[in-house]
Amino acid sequence: MSASPPQDQAGASAGTVGTPADFLKGVIGKRVVVRLTSGVDYQGLLSCLDGYMNIALEQTEEYVDGAVVNRYGDAFIRGNNVLYISAMESI
Amino acid sequence: MASQILPLELIDRCIGSRIWVITKGEREFAGKLLGFDDFVNMVLEDVTEYINTEDGVKKVRLQQTLLNGNNICMLVPGSSGPEDA
Repeated sequence: MSASPPQDQAGASAGTVGTPADFLKGVIGKRVVVRLTSGVDYQGLLSCLDGYMNIALEQTEEYVDGAVVNRYGDAFIRGNNVLYISAMESI
Repeated sequence: MASQILPLELIDRCIGSRIWVITKGEREFAGKLLGFDDFVNMVLEDVTEYINTEDGVKKVRLQQTLLNGNNICMLVPGSSGPEDA
């Protein structure tokens, strides 16, 4: 696979809104839950992200099996670990 | 030649309707498909996540969600998920 971020490739379904690139633009500043492939959840305010799904969160709470195990002021998540990013408020 | 439809064309036709996503792991997702890209990262709305565990199936409700294409294995257009199958 090429090293270019996915958002460069976006637009496969041209003419529609709601593509991953559109989602990434709209979700900045919202409260989100990020689930990793390991099953660990991170809830927080999404401060920025890129097409690799690298994510920076503020006011982050780390959930393991539904219980808070840690809180971080700022957290960076490397994109390869991300299963999904889900908005907790409407976009 | 008979008209042929490519796999991703099929998914493109599914935009706006419900889709069932089965991952490589013990997870499934069902929701309304809003869009996807060349990596088959998908944006879904009104999602139910089904987590298959030894103790049974755990369900999680999600709003608008960007699902990483990395773990996606199979897509079932027009299905509302495992309960609909």
